[in-house]
Amino acid sequence: MTTQIKNVNKNYGSFNALHQINLDIKEGEFVAILGPSGCGKTTLLRLLAGFDSPSSGEVWMNHKLIANLTFFLPPEKRNIGMVFQSFALWPHMNVRDHIRFPLKHHQFLSKELKPSIDHRVDEVLKMVDMLHLGERMPSELSGGQKQRVALARAIAPKPALLLMDEPLSSLDAELRKGMRKEIQQLHQVTKASIVYVTHDQSEALAMADKIVVMNKGKIEQVGTPKEIYNSPTTPFVASFVGKANLIKGKWEGAAFYPFHQPSIKWDGTAVTSELRAKNLFPARPEQLELSLSDDGVKGIITNVQYQGKEIHYTVTVEGEEWVIHQDIFAEFSIGDEVTVHLKEWTYGKKMDERKELHFA
Amino acid sequence: MLQNVMSRVQNQNKWLFFIGVGFVVVFFVLPIFRLVFLSFSSEGSFTIGNYTSVLQDRSTWKTIENTLYVVGGSSIIAIVLGVMTAWVVAYTNIRRKKLIQVFIFLPFIIPSYITTLAWTQFMNKNGFFAHLLSLLPGSVDPLNMYSLQGIIMVMGFSHYPLVYLLTVGVLRKIPRDLEYAARVSGASKWQSFQKITLPLAIPGIASGGFLAFLASLDNFGIPAFLGIPGNIRVLSTYIYEQIVGFGPNSFERAATLSVILGFIALTGTLVQWLLVKKSKHTETAVEDKEPRFLLTKRTRLTIELLLWSFLLVTTMVPLLSMLSASLIKAYGLPFALENISLKNYQFVLFENQKAITSLKNSANLAIFTAVVCLVIGTGIAYVRTKKPSMISKGLEMIIGIPYALPGTVLALAMIFAWMEPIPGWNPGIYGTITILFIAYVTRFLILQVRGSITAFMQVDPSIEEAARVSGSNGFYKWQQILIPLIFPGVISGALLVFLTALTELTVSSLLWSSGSETIGLVIFNFEQAGYSTYSTAFSSIIVLFILLIFVMLAVLQKVWDRRMLHHDHSN
Repeated sequence: MTTQIKNVNKNYGSFNALHQINLDIKEGEFVAILGPSGCGKTTLLRLLAGFDSPSSGEVWMNHKLIANLTFFLPPEKRNIGMVFQSFALWPHMNVRDHIRFPLKHHQFLSKELKPSIDHRVDEVLKMVDMLHLGERMPSELSGGQKQRVALARAIAPKPALLLMDEPLSSLDAELRKGMRKEIQQLHQVTKASIVYVTHDQSEALAMADKIVVMNKGKIEQVGTPKEIYNSPTTPFVASFVGKANLIKGKWEGAAFYPFHQPSIKWDGTAVTSELRAKNLFPARPEQLELSLSDDGVKGIITNVQYQGKEIHYTVTVEGEEWVIHQDIFAEFSIGDEVTVHLKEWTYGKKMDERKELHFA
Repeated sequence: MLQNVMSRVQNQNKWLFFIGVGFVVVFFVLPIFRLVFLSFSSEGSFTIGNYTSVLQDRSTWKTIENTLYVVGGSSIIAIVLGVMTAWVVAYTNIRRKKLIQVFIFLPFIIPSYITTLAWTQFMNKNGFFAHLLSLLPGSVDPLNMYSLQGIIMVMGFSHYPLVYLLTVGVLRKIPRDLEYAARVSGASKWQSFQKITLPLAIPGIASGGFLAFLASLDNFGIPAFLGIPGNIRVLSTYIYEQIVGFGPNSFERAATLSVILGFIALTGTLVQWLLVKKSKHTETAVEDKEPRFLLTKRTRLTIELLLWSFLLVTTMVPLLSMLSASLIKAYGLPFALENISLKNYQFVLFENQKAITSLKNSANLAIFTAVVCLVIGTGIAYVRTKKPSMISKGLEMIIGIPYALPGTVLALAMIFAWMEPIPGWNPGIYGTITILFIAYVTRFLILQVRGSITAFMQVDPSIEEAARVSGSNGFYKWQQILIPLIFPGVISGALLVFLTALTELTVSSLLWSSGSETIGLVIFNFEQAGYSTYSTAFSSIIVLFILLIFVMLAVLQKVWDRRMLHHDHSN
């Protein structure tokens, strides 16, 4: 099933929660909506679910109009499943009953599934590895198990579109990584389109086919994880996803002169034209390098954080603070005067040789 | 086609909206409007003469003075007892807290006129307490209950659970680290209580105190049983006497006094509401039920002994005195085996026609009121929680007014509203049991609305959304998800309405007519006519019935909890 969002706006009083949103979700696609809290990502998801209606614009599913200003189809009449941030398990029902409920009531249940509901319950429980816990009540489950039940309930009726609202944010860090893998596997097995809302960029990068970065109710950029990470088109995407330092300077073609210093020239082949037009160079912490030599941008180290496999430095350059990640073999201390270089190999020869990426 | 469906739904909502507003205006707004209107009219013309004549009357000022003493004194007792018990239960490691809580709530569950009756029997010249005192050297008489002190004492003991209830929650929500931080900063136990705990608990204590104040202002049973025989009037009984006295201009005078009393009560309610609103920020904090002060064995035993003697003396002992009085053949005989009989019970249950009718009437009233309130109140609560808006909030406030108003004031408003709903047309509602039905639903609806709102609030919105995404938004969503989850809360609201209506006295004392007597009224009449043995027997039956219901409820709750395996409510 395909889903289209066309020119959607959503206002709460005078507050503009969503601004001119346009988005296509293809059949079987895993789309992550990424943004800080309050950016409108949850509003967008609730619009897709049918818990909210747009103030203007249209939502289409499967080539049918399902919501505009005057009309909208309630959630129970959409072919969707949803996983909630708080899991939303029903405290008075056991695990099997949770999965049986949508199988009994979902209005798009296929003809094959209808006669074999109990079989499907077993099948889904097996998928999430909960077959042995079917009689348990929610209060007897751990966080990860609750999450599996919530997932199983959502996928059981084989909905065409699966909505996930920060499903991993209530779990601890270790469990989160494990669940990522399970969600990816479920995506491969079910082949449903997934819209996955998150504020965690590593989750989005790891799982999605397509990432939609949102900020202040607007879409900043849409692209594959690699495009979003390596070729941000807005300063927000560069700093939010890649944690990049936004360095001011002058562009001449693909050459960048930080702080307009003609003696220092960085190769900016990979930087998008949008950022070039803003006279910015997005340098991620691992793209920069420190040394004591003379040729480069001068700075002073103001903070050092030891991380084990690398060291995170804060360097004050021309009054601005840059974050630079450096391996542990060269150590600097607070107060050291250093020069900052762009690592040549990242964007230079090695990348060209591999020809893995093509930049606009 | 779908657009048609949508517009039909919207039309339905519009109809519901108009029906709701019409319902509220007719049953809640108009009666009060009429009462105010009547207080400003004399023989069909507008005047403030009623106010000037009432306020020039010496007995009005004497009544206001008494009211101030009673309300002030009993509120102070309630606050002191409420805060002390709340602190001990919330913070120390005394044992059997659940049972203690049951005893604290007992005076709250048993109607105050029955508690009063119990106290009069306890303090009786031939009673248990007098017997105890006579064993002591010197000649000390038990307290004369038919006095201001008697009224203040019984009211204070009846209303301290309100302060307890609001304070204990607030105390538990104050993070223990705050007091620890004060201790580490060098404050003593007492200083940190004074400077940290107490200021943080003030919103809870103050709003509990205001509730006690309002309850005392509203209370009719205690001053009616203790004050009327001793010629001590407070505003609620004064209004009652005006109406039943049928003097010249008595209705206008009663209306005027009611507006004054109602105004004080509504102002108090507003202050209480603002206090609760102000303390909302602690609402999200979790209650910490672990003890914070680990007392040594000896201190703990001392406190437990003190607390239990207080609880038993203020609840069980008066009730037992009442029970023993009811078992005696004739009033005045000593409590001895040869004088014990069940003939008083036989009389009220099988022989006295009024008592039998009242049982039937009150049971009908209570069941009908509870069912109507259950349906309407839960509906209002659902709209209120799912679609919060200024309109629904305003609706809730208006629905709360009849409960905030003292019962005598509401009863009077009901008389004016339903005697002739449209001038010149008397549908025969006043003077039958129907007016009691209407008055009870109007007065107690808010109890169900609040109970159901609490029940809905405990269900996270995503719980319902999950049902909708699973394909159900109608019958099954309610039957399988929502109703099982809100059931305990909604039913306890309905039970509260049922019990309150069953034992109601204030409103029915003014709205009753021959054939529509209620339990409270019959007990009141027995007592006024001097038939203490009958009133105590009837009261004992009611108390036993109430306790039976609560035991049943506790068992039901246990079964329910086991079925739900509810270790946490978070998901």
